[in-house]
Amino acid sequence: MSDGGDEKLSVEARLGLVAFTIDSEPHIRVNQDECRKCSLKQCLFVCPAKLYTEEEGEIKFNHEGCLECGTCRIACPKIDWNYPRGGFGAHYQYG
Amino acid sequence: MEMEEKFDAIIVGAGASGLGAAYSLAKSGFNVVVLERGQRIGAKNVYGGRIYSHVFEKEIPGFKEDAPVERWVTGERLTFLDDSSAATLELSSDFSSENSFITTLSKFNEWLGKKVEETGGLVISGIKVDDLIIEGSTVKGIVAGEERLFADVVIDAEGVNPILAKKAGLRGDWNPHEVAVGVKEVIKLPESVIEDRFNLNHGEGAANLFLGYASRYGFGGGFLYTAKDTISIGVVVRVDSAIANRISVYDIVEDFRLHPYISKLIKDGSPIEYSAHLVPEAGIHGVPKLYGNGILLTGDAAGFVLNRGFTVRGVDFAFLSGVIAAETIRKAHEEGDFSASTLSHYEQRLKESVVFRELENFRKVPNLLSNLRFFETYPKLLCEILKDAYTVGEDSKKIYPLLKNKMRDRVSMITLIRDIISVVRNL
Ligand SMILES: Cc1cc2nc3c(=O)[nH]c(=O)nc-3n(C[C@H](O)[C@H](O)[C@H](O)COP(=O)(O)OP(=O)(O)OC[C@H]3O[C@@H](n4cnc5c(N)ncnc54)[C@H](O)[C@@H]3O)c2cc1C
Ligand code: SF4
Ligand code: SF4
Repeated sequence: MSDGGDEKLSVEARLGLVAFTIDSEPHIRVNQDECRKCSLKQCLFVCPAKLYTEEEGEIKFNHEGCLECGTCRIACPKIDWNYPRGGFGAHYQYG
Repeated sequence: MEMEEKFDAIIVGAGASGLGAAYSLAKSGFNVVVLERGQRIGAKNVYGGRIYSHVFEKEIPGFKEDAPVERWVTGERLTFLDDSSAATLELSSDFSSENSFITTLSKFNEWLGKKVEETGGLVISGIKVDDLIIEGSTVKGIVAGEERLFADVVIDAEGVNPILAKKAGLRGDWNPHEVAVGVKEVIKLPESVIEDRFNLNHGEGAANLFLGYASRYGFGGGFLYTAKDTISIGVVVRVDSAIANRISVYDIVEDFRLHPYISKLIKDGSPIEYSAHLVPEAGIHGVPKLYGNGILLTGDAAGFVLNRGFTVRGVDFAFLSGVIAAETIRKAHEEGDFSASTLSHYEQRLKESVVFRELENFRKVPNLLSNLRFFETYPKLLCEILKDAYTVGEDSKKIYPLLKNKMRDRVSMITLIRDIISVVRNL
């Protein structure tokens, strides 16, 4: 892997720099019924961790790598959003 | 922890606001507990890079000698960026008043937590508050997992995502135009390299804010702060702007890092952390109801952040709002009454403080910063004009015709002058 000198680091590589304790249960859930009706699908681009993806017309969400910012929550009120359980999630050192 | 132990105050969140309240209450002998969802204090806190020191010096004896200051800011820069070039305004001075310093918020809050513990306050990390205990219309305590804790008063210092404040009926949620997402990378570089590159003496630091390309010409900007042996770079974009312009928020800070102007400054340094956080952007217009029966709202949850485009103040306001909340609680304790009518003292005292004075003074800023010309037209114009003016071909070019030519179809001279006047008046 490049150390990110002059090359663009993928978001996955950048998430690899964050220390996480990952919970088995997701703390955020999407509502597929709402997603099917949604034309803008802003979750796909506003998440700084790129955790929302679209596969065969379905919105998939992966809670591992969540930076806990809340941007998706503001951008889409249909998302069932919570912080991870106490002690879980990201552990920033240089925040 | 005793199951039904009653505290004088329960504080939700160990950010600067919760810790400010805890420090002040513990110092006067109150039995307080701070509950923080992060595994340790500081683990969830993310900001740009600079703290204004005045409030802290006033409240914490021996602050300067003891605080985890990495560098005192002596160099201030404001840079207009287009896709490939940059035009910078620079102020460098010795700022002997030591007005602001660079550190990481994780480290700073960890230090504040130690201060709270030294004064006898209790901070428990790894505990997320799930709910408030509300009887009638009065907040009586909190629920965390299986545990219920009671107190005379709860200070809601949960930060920018106001999940509990909404439950308490103190406020609604933010609209997308009232908050911005900040995305940050921390770059590791040797201390001496940072000092050479930014023209700094040992212990001096530089703060650089950016308008234009960083936020993809939408509402927002970029920042760069030099810490001791790291540099923080980041981009802030208002959420409405990210949605409207379909900005790939996951790429903005990486693209900023690779901009020719930035990549030169951080050459040979590699990113060691990636993070993101929301910041309130509505100024005084975003301040909600600040108190209810048995509850007070502080810091980001109350919208106490001032963004003037070239400075961001939130940490010192957060801390001070916590200190003022503590003062109110002392008064309520004396009166033996924690109802909204006694707790309204909090709002009165805040209104007399620098927090409201500043937010009031700059009441027009959020509006002013809603003018897209500042984020697109002017940064591009400035870079282009300077590029052309400094490009010497056969004949060099005069500035005024250049300006007129560049402005054609983009902005009228009248509008430009009007914008300049409004900046001078309101910023
Ligand atoms: C990108 C960016 C750049 C910024 N730059 C600057 C700057 O340079 N200078 C400046 O002064 N300000 C800056 N700010 C603003 C500043 O960071 C904030 O205003 C300040 O940190 C707010 O402090 P707080 O205590 O209110 O909230 P926070 O620091 O967010 O603290 C809230 C705490 O509560 C915890 N919490 C939340 N919910 C729960 C729960 N249910 N149970 C238990 N714990 C909970 C969180 O984990 C967190 O630790 C910036 C902000 C951002 C996002
Ligand atoms: S924006 Fe919300 S409703 Fe639309 S697809 Fe994404 S999660 Fe579903
Ligand atoms: S909270 Fe932030 S990082 Fe987590 S899913 Fe939402 S937008 Fe992405």
